[in-house]
Amino acid sequence: MKDQTKSKTGASVNRLEGALKVMGKAKYSSEFAIDNLAFAQGIQSTISAGKITSIDTSLAEKQEGVIKIITHENALKLKGYGGRFEEPDTKSISPSLQTPDVHYYGEYIGVVVAETFEQARYAANLVKVTYAKSEPKFIFDEHLDELYMPKEINDKAKTNTQWGDVEKGLKDAYKTIDVTYNTPVEHHHPMELHNIIATWEGDKVIAYASTQIVAHAVKTIADTFEIPEDNVRVITPYVGGGFGSKLQLREHGTLGIMASKMIGRPVQLTVTRHEMFTAVGFRQHNRQHMRLGADKEGNLTALSHETSAATSTYEEFQEPCGAISQTLYNTPNSLVTHKLMKLNLPSPRWMRAPGEAPGSFALESAMDELAYKLQMDPAEFRIKNDTQHDLSVDKPFSSRQFVECIRIGAEKFDWKNKWKPTPGHTKKENWLVGYGMSGSSRQSPYMESSALIKLKLDNDKVQVTVQTDATDIGTGSYTIIGQTISEYLDIPLEQISVELGDSKFPKTPGSGGSWGAASYTNGVKVACDNAISTLKTLASTSEDLSVIELMKKADLTEFEAKGTAGPTEEFENYSVYSFGANFCEVWVDEYSGMVRLEHFVNVGSAGKILNPKTAYGQIIGGITWGVGQALTEHSQVEPNHGNFITRSFADYHVPVNLDLGKIDVIFLPEDDYIANPMGVKGIGELGITSIAAAIANAVFNATGKRVRDLPITPEKIMKTKIEVA
Amino acid sequence: MRPFEFYSAQSASQAVVQHTKNKETHYLGGGTNLLDLMKEDVKRPEHLIEVADLPYKDIKSTSEGGLALGAMMSNTHTANNTEVKNKYPLLSMAILAAATEQIRNMATNGGNLLQRTRCPYYFETSMPCNKREPGTGCGALDGENSKHAIFGWSESCVATHPSDMSVALAALNATVVVQSENGESRRIPFTEFHRLPEDRPEKDTTLSDSELITSIELPKSEFPTHYYYLKVRERSSYAFALVSAAVGLQLDGKTIRKAGLALGKVAHKPWKLEKVEQFLIGKEATKEVFEQAAELALQDAKPLKHNAYKIELAKKTLVRALLQATSRS
Repeated sequence: MKDQTKSKTGASVNRLEGALKVMGKAKYSSEFAIDNLAFAQGIQSTISAGKITSIDTSLAEKQEGVIKIITHENALKLKGYGGRFEEPDTKSISPSLQTPDVHYYGEYIGVVVAETFEQARYAANLVKVTYAKSEPKFIFDEHLDELYMPKEINDKAKTNTQWGDVEKGLKDAYKTIDVTYNTPVEHHHPMELHNIIATWEGDKVIAYASTQIVAHAVKTIADTFEIPEDNVRVITPYVGGGFGSKLQLREHGTLGIMASKMIGRPVQLTVTRHEMFTAVGFRQHNRQHMRLGADKEGNLTALSHETSAATSTYEEFQEPCGAISQTLYNTPNSLVTHKLMKLNLPSPRWMRAPGEAPGSFALESAMDELAYKLQMDPAEFRIKNDTQHDLSVDKPFSSRQFVECIRIGAEKFDWKNKWKPTPGHTKKENWLVGYGMSGSSRQSPYMESSALIKLKLDNDKVQVTVQTDATDIGTGSYTIIGQTISEYLDIPLEQISVELGDSKFPKTPGSGGSWGAASYTNGVKVACDNAISTLKTLASTSEDLSVIELMKKADLTEFEAKGTAGPTEEFENYSVYSFGANFCEVWVDEYSGMVRLEHFVNVGSAGKILNPKTAYGQIIGGITWGVGQALTEHSQVEPNHGNFITRSFADYHVPVNLDLGKIDVIFLPEDDYIANPMGVKGIGELGITSIAAAIANAVFNATGKRVRDLPITPEKIMKTKIEVA
Repeated sequence: MRPFEFYSAQSASQAVVQHTKNKETHYLGGGTNLLDLMKEDVKRPEHLIEVADLPYKDIKSTSEGGLALGAMMSNTHTANNTEVKNKYPLLSMAILAAATEQIRNMATNGGNLLQRTRCPYYFETSMPCNKREPGTGCGALDGENSKHAIFGWSESCVATHPSDMSVALAALNATVVVQSENGESRRIPFTEFHRLPEDRPEKDTTLSDSELITSIELPKSEFPTHYYYLKVRERSSYAFALVSAAVGLQLDGKTIRKAGLALGKVAHKPWKLEKVEQFLIGKEATKEVFEQAAELALQDAKPLKHNAYKIELAKKTLVRALLQATSRS
């Protein structure tokens, strides 16, 4: 039997699809050459609130190649629209073009279908729209009196949670802080544009759609067009990043599918980079009021985390910023609240580490501020307040190596020798050098997931094909699924073919929320286990023979097995989280206020790392996101018109390589089989959590300036005053 | 993108003649700016005349001992040219601070000077902008203007010129050579090439409608040793400046004999600091002197609602660039 050590889980295997991607042969959803394909281009509103009074399409219709122009006047009537805000089912329905109402600037109010993309785009510019404007609201500070507490947040999470008495805890504290942090609107901007190609045959539709969750896209399409789910096929073999923006198929999906149905031809609608600022969601602006208290020894006496944010006028969404404040530290008195206002902006949505990304910036900055007040080492302050029990749900953690992450990170970074409690302690020429750290955690969900494996005996070799509707959003799903098969069937990777992203394959929860890897691989493992046990029965043996021997013995040349895995009762009795710690060194130019990230050390404890190579990549990507959150990313709303005036990559600044410096990623070994049978935890969100806080804390250590509004731009460094310790 | 007619010109004079025939005609160089604007429906030319392949792609010595940079030469070739690097390193440094390698490979020298503002109101066709559509008003004046002008703006426009290369050319006292409609060539001192918005912000330069840039002339090398281009921006690469400073100094020991100075992204044109250049002559190259110079440079600055920080930032940027230039040897 050949040893598969190098291709099993835990090995740094190169991406199975890497060569295809490099050669441009990995087919993304917009790259399927469908016969007779027509192209659609959306028309967007140019007011923030009001009603369309007329749409003149006459000039546009006369242009060469134009097939049809669809507006609310002639669109297919879809069910489920009736004041979207109150509609409970809207999370699976994406109605569009159903009324003349305009909710935000850049809303799709029509679509032009033409023979070519260029013709569609040109004609879209010729459509003349007149409006009856109403008074829009889009400036957060002007509507603070309209804040309300939503019934639930983030899909069934509690709005308010508390224990003990925070006011008393603050009163009894030796030192307290009371500060407010702001994080701006940020956009996901995956490299691959959102896209759909729709083609109908009778009442059946095939959609090549860039989506993170195939089964969800199927349900959305079926619900919106009132056809059975069996009539919908969604295909998405490769996804060029999603970061939450592709969890749901949104209005562009509806428009593409509707257009195809109306013209009786396949239609492609690709959302442009500019439209991605309004069409596919974003992270909402969050204002977080933090009040913390601690006793003389550095034990937290109170932790209050109150968040205000804005949702759209037509859909309620709030990310759970305060959640991390009730799981990361031990506090006898806790208060977490969330409030919303409704603004004429597009709906915010889930974006990488929804809740934790902004929430951890507030919490881990506040912890840092309190540590300075207590004159304690910020790393020791965090260790002091560790808890092995999840106070928010009164359950033990399945495993928690938070303190180990901090200790090992501090050692690797040489924290004890570098960090000093006096800001501005180190200067190198024109650079102020500072050090900062933060702790992090993120829930690691585990969901029901199925897979089908097909074995074929061929020239004395077993060829394996595995099929699931899982998606590879750039994270390495193909590779880790291949490695799982290689491990549990003991077959080399070269004989394994992984097929993903098709709704005709067995269901998974898709990629998102750090649940993908753990869920898929356990489903695939069960399919492997089922294959072996069934083969043993068919071969009438109880010996541990190889797959090939079992197939021969059972006289089989082909064989299939299915498997489904999912959380057990034991899983529900624990809180399952990944943990981490971050340490960084920044250099701040005393003249310009430009911040340079010199060195970043990230330590994570996240169960079994299936493939260190792809996992490091994911964490480095997460850190890069955190650098963007900390230093560069900011979508600005125009104060008189309500549109995003950061409208391309030229002005929405994601970090570039030169912004990053040296990054070290360390994973601690961790066996946690409560999390799931393979002991896998998610890392997709952990990578970004608390990164911005570590950088902001280092900027404070360098300059004595506490910039509480992200991003930390040269302008803000210039405007912020040095704080007296 | 709107349909357009495309011509490929064989000579500068042919291009100019062709250009005079129709309104709504544009020259097309590397296309790194114009094609974006056409896709966004900001620019709607009906005729494009390709000039990128005209024979102005080299660098020649001038009779005055300077260099003439071909207008159709790429930014990359210009910045990496040995003579440019040796005699005008400030120009190389400024060009390389701009955009990305891929964009610099396509961008031409002439086109760089003619790139349009990055003001978001100019790019968004549904918002008011006098530069894009005269008479519609300036959206930025009462809107978001944190990255806009602190010098020379008017009620009709507060936009800034985005070029890095142009800031160095202003410091270096370059001359723009153009082919005119009458078949003659015309020489425009760099400080007179770009204009302030006044009440005609749609016009960025003093070129007449059909004039075509053929070369950019640099005087005899003056600042080969003490120079610096400092670009302050929100990320380390591929970002337009918040403020930039191009600095060239001639030093005799610690004494300044000559200075070439300009600020970028503070006005509708590269902001040449002639008064400060004069002030520095004969002074010692010290931080204190540079701070006085920066005060002088910014004394006439006039902020908008959101950009007062740029005044302080520009001072610090200029001081830092002068210090860097001094310490080079």
